[in-house]
Amino acid sequence: MEFVSPEGLRIDGRRPQELRALQCKFGVLSCCDGSALFQAGNTKVFAAVYGPRVADIRGQALHDRALIKCEYAHAAFSTGAARRRRGRSRKSTELAALVRGALEQTILVELLPRAQVEVCIQVLFADGGVTAACINAAMLAVADAGIPVRDMVAACGAGHLEAMPLLDLNHTEAATGGLEVCVALHPALDRVVLLQADAKASVDTLEAVTTLALQGCKAAAGAMREALLQHVRSLAARRGAI
Amino acid sequence: MGALVQDTLEPDAFRKLYPDQYYARFVAEGLRPDGRPLLQARPTTIALGAVSAADSSALVKIGNTTVMAGIKLEVMVPVDERPQEGQVAVSVELTALCSPDARPGRFSEAAHCLNEQVSTALRSGGVVNLQNLLIAHGRAAWVAYLDLYVLDADGGLYDAALLAALAALAALRLPHVDVDDEGKVVPAGASDAAMVLEDADGQRLSAAGPAGPQPIAHLRVGSLPTALTCALYNGQLIVDPDRDEEARAHALVAVTVDDRGRLLGVEKQGGRAAADAAALQSCIAAARVRHREVASLLRQALHAATVPGYSGADS
Repeated sequence: MEFVSPEGLRIDGRRPQELRALQCKFGVLSCCDGSALFQAGNTKVFAAVYGPRVADIRGQALHDRALIKCEYAHAAFSTGAARRRRGRSRKSTELAALVRGALEQTILVELLPRAQVEVCIQVLFADGGVTAACINAAMLAVADAGIPVRDMVAACGAGHLEAMPLLDLNHTEAATGGLEVCVALHPALDRVVLLQADAKASVDTLEAVTTLALQGCKAAAGAMREALLQHVRSLAARRGAI
Repeated sequence: MGALVQDTLEPDAFRKLYPDQYYARFVAEGLRPDGRPLLQARPTTIALGAVSAADSSALVKIGNTTVMAGIKLEVMVPVDERPQEGQVAVSVELTALCSPDARPGRFSEAAHCLNEQVSTALRSGGVVNLQNLLIAHGRAAWVAYLDLYVLDADGGLYDAALLAALAALAALRLPHVDVDDEGKVVPAGASDAAMVLEDADGQRLSAAGPAGPQPIAHLRVGSLPTALTCALYNGQLIVDPDRDEEARAHALVAVTVDDRGRLLGVEKQGGRAAADAAALQSCIAAARVRHREVASLLRQALHAATVPGYSGADS
């Protein structure tokens, strides 16, 4: 199968270094403290934040910082593959842990001792780049809940196919089993929060792909920031502040 | 005591301190805190085809309550007792993000109840003629896995879940397939058995129609049962309560009716108040009125998605 045509276009018509169309919506759910919908191409992820509030289980509360909890689930029809049994798998536990790790470094946990922040993620449509989409959706929901953060965290994936680094792989491209890297970045602090690569690759390849993914993170962060500012402006307008 | 304090309190503080009195005052005026009259349901929307990885999908919103339905088709061998029928397998999940009390596992009782209510309504309403899901007598039939996800639980979950299930089933398209000599299911026309439909990718390809236009049959639904939840509060009937109102209500009655106004189910689960015959009658009347609204919305949505048989004129 050909992943990049001679004209330099990928199977979904993108250039090798092009992100999919990003869409961010806030306040999509009513009964939580903050919620967001993040969409990258077909990949569609809901995130809801409950808290900060008193820890559910008192023994788990931490005396010097907030406890971050993360739940991940995906719809049985979310992938193109045959319907899978619902319930938690190792893959979804890992994903929840990755998102929690990214958030623990992003939220100013030391400002909220003994509190709990719970993030629930639901994937409706998984078309590649799910880890990155989950982190971005969680970040937007945390922002919507008004929880203090060090910096925005933005994530993006990149891969290596046909000797060419490709940004933001879709499901068909990712299913080849080649190198895929997921990076999460604090864009203003310029700190890498998360880096995950799960295939054999040379150091040069890894570096090229990581650099591309970092550029993708910055682009995604820009789009998320813009959406967030627009949302805040509309909120302020509704309250008559401007 | 309460009356003394009420006059000097901010409305918001009053709501938090005396939630019952706050609500009772609204109802006494024939209004509700969200501005609706007592007998008005919340604005409802139906969006079809939101998830293209599913063979059919529908996103239903009733006010804030949001339910996503998706159907995946798979091939099965019909059970021996019913060799000419396929299956519809319903599963309802209350996602972790739908309400502050929902956690994976913990909410299962409510999810199981909802699951049972929706599958009973679909079955007793005769929505799907299971024989339409047959591919080859005794050898192959479709099983439609209907998964319902409650994304936002703000009251009236059963009404929204049933509507989402119905919309997804009505919009479902069955790929045209044949059974070859070895008993494998292949897309119609591809008799060389290159694509086996049980294979996930084969299924996707057949839906997308790789070899030119493929005939695709719509699953015709037999009837359109819809449900309406009503709350009884101080002897008043309140239609389509949201989550706060459900918690306030003295009793909840859910009524399911079909196209011809026939009663498919009435459910009153406990509650603090008993419902007399007159109250039940008015619940049923309200459910019939609501059915007309919802059925016309559903027909419009199906018509917009060009599902044949729903011209919108036959409502």
